[in-house]
Amino acid sequence: MKPDENLKVALYQNLVKSRELEEQLTELPGFHAGVGEEAVVVGSFFGLAEDEYCAPHYRGALMAAHMRGADLHRLIAGVLGKATSYNRGRVRGDICLPFQFRTLGMFSGVLGNPMNIATGMALAAKQRRDGKAVVTSFGEGTSNIGGFHEALNMAACLSLPIVYVCQNNGYAMSTRTEYAIKAASVADRAGGYGVPGVQVDGNDVLAVFEAVQSALQRARAGQGPTLIDARTYRLSGHYTGDTNFYQPAEEREQWIARDPVQRLRADLAAQGILDEVRLNEIRAAAHAEVAAAIAAAQADPEADLSALGTSDLYSPSQVEEAAA
Amino acid sequence: MTEMTFQEAVVAAIVEEMERDPTVFNLGQDIGPIYNGAMHSARGLSDRFGADRIIDTPISETAMTGAGIGAAICGMRPIVQIMFAEFLGLTITPLACEAAAMWYKSDGQISVPMVIRVLCGAGPHRGHAEDYIGLVAGVPGLKVVMPSCPGDAKGLMTAAIRDNNPIVFFEHMGIYHGPRQEVPAAGEAIALGKADIKRHGRDVTIVASGMMVQRSLRAAEKLAGEDVSAEVIDPRTLVPLDLDTVLASVRKTRRLVVVSESWRTGDPLSDMTARVAEELAGEGPLRIARAALQNTPRPFALSLARASMPDLQDIINAVRKVKDDTK
Repeated sequence: MKPDENLKVALYQNLVKSRELEEQLTELPGFHAGVGEEAVVVGSFFGLAEDEYCAPHYRGALMAAHMRGADLHRLIAGVLGKATSYNRGRVRGDICLPFQFRTLGMFSGVLGNPMNIATGMALAAKQRRDGKAVVTSFGEGTSNIGGFHEALNMAACLSLPIVYVCQNNGYAMSTRTEYAIKAASVADRAGGYGVPGVQVDGNDVLAVFEAVQSALQRARAGQGPTLIDARTYRLSGHYTGDTNFYQPAEEREQWIARDPVQRLRADLAAQGILDEVRLNEIRAAAHAEVAAAIAAAQADPEADLSALGTSDLYSPSQVEEAAA
Repeated sequence: MTEMTFQEAVVAAIVEEMERDPTVFNLGQDIGPIYNGAMHSARGLSDRFGADRIIDTPISETAMTGAGIGAAICGMRPIVQIMFAEFLGLTITPLACEAAAMWYKSDGQISVPMVIRVLCGAGPHRGHAEDYIGLVAGVPGLKVVMPSCPGDAKGLMTAAIRDNNPIVFFEHMGIYHGPRQEVPAAGEAIALGKADIKRHGRDVTIVASGMMVQRSLRAAEKLAGEDVSAEVIDPRTLVPLDLDTVLASVRKTRRLVVVSESWRTGDPLSDMTARVAEELAGEGPLRIARAALQNTPRPFALSLARASMPDLQDIINAVRKVKDDTK
């Protein structure tokens, strides 16, 4: 296979696993699934250097962490609040990720914080002059929060190495993008900060990947931040139990016809890169892997009360240790 | 022996730590070479360390705080100057919702070694006096430091920069450019979470913070003439608070006066008062009085501003109240 064929296959494998995760986890209580948005998740966080940091949007966060090396079983244990999670059940695992994989999650339910903190992660890279860059993603609803404006403006002023990806799924809970954002694209807002704004088809994983990689190269070269608007569509509810009653049927049909997983699958088949048998095998393997991880996590013990203590509220510090 | 003002002491601690540790840097508005920080809070830093480590930012407190957190979790030790405590509300979502929770919720995967500097209190320019200390003191995971003199300011800032947790460091404007006093030697830290007994006494325990410490010491001096021996304790670190030192004193005096320039509702010293009552009320008679900022928005006119916060006489009256066993 040619290099670009290898890339497509790798992206497809991740895309399929992301779909399986989103679909199967939708069954769990309180999960914020992102069925339909997988191309933005995979395209944004696939292929980051191991020593670079990222801060993914909560919708699709598990796949982002998994692509960076986190174990599916333990990630899902985090969603369920099990003892085997990466944090002994102290934080909800669907939105908060293990930082040991240089992947930042949300330690609260407040939107906009990760993109501000990611901006600081980029500042650290700039301070160290290490040539690294940061990718962060967020929903289009978050682009209406004041912190979005502050982060973009400050990243521009300080020329920080960061890529902001708007995972624009058309809805902030039930609020339509057209209602809450009067710019034609979130990317149009970039002009107000003097940074490049890029629109990309968020249901085309290769297009997202290429846009992010190109912005990353720019960032690593010291040329500052980029804002990417990746337009996609949320086919699942805002969370488990949301029936999408506010989405018009015709609109859903149009987006289902543009399904990112089916599109790449059709492309791979048409170009003769993978045949139907192999495509089905990839899907079946992903399905089984996710199902096994969920079953294993469900069988794990509940979080132990030993994780409830107050004695480790603070990180130990040099001065206290010297005084002790 | 080196003597410094409060402002000089804080800046000296920052200079020493920046020279010792290349990961320490500053973010703030107007802290660069043109302005050197509000009330000279960053005087000389930019000339010494340059724009790479003394970074001027736009007016963006949320982004500044978020940027500090992000840099901290990636191995840096940022000092974020939010200028005035009045602006703390703008920092709260990243600071309280994320930074405070990261170490605990991540089960020890993430440390946030960051110092947020804020000016507060009734000062010479009559603006930005509100400290909103309850906003930050009520959130588990943050540390809150409020020095009362140049020596403590220097040692505590040194400790704060070396600490691995998010810290809000209050610098009182009313004592900022006051008399020079002896300060700790270079690199000498004062451990956070340790109170200082500023004056030893037998009859009454006064716990005071910030500018109220000096005022309480003056009250204790006056009361000594009435044959009342007051012990004055400065917690220095309001969170975590050195309750043991306070309890030991009140166990001895059975009388507690709390003096604060913050609103008493939400004041960490109010929580301390409740904890003292919980621990000691069962052991025998216990008298408590509080002198605090009037529980209204802070008034502007000088006469109103002065009368809204504890003065010398208020402190003396509070002590007399707990001393009077007939009431």
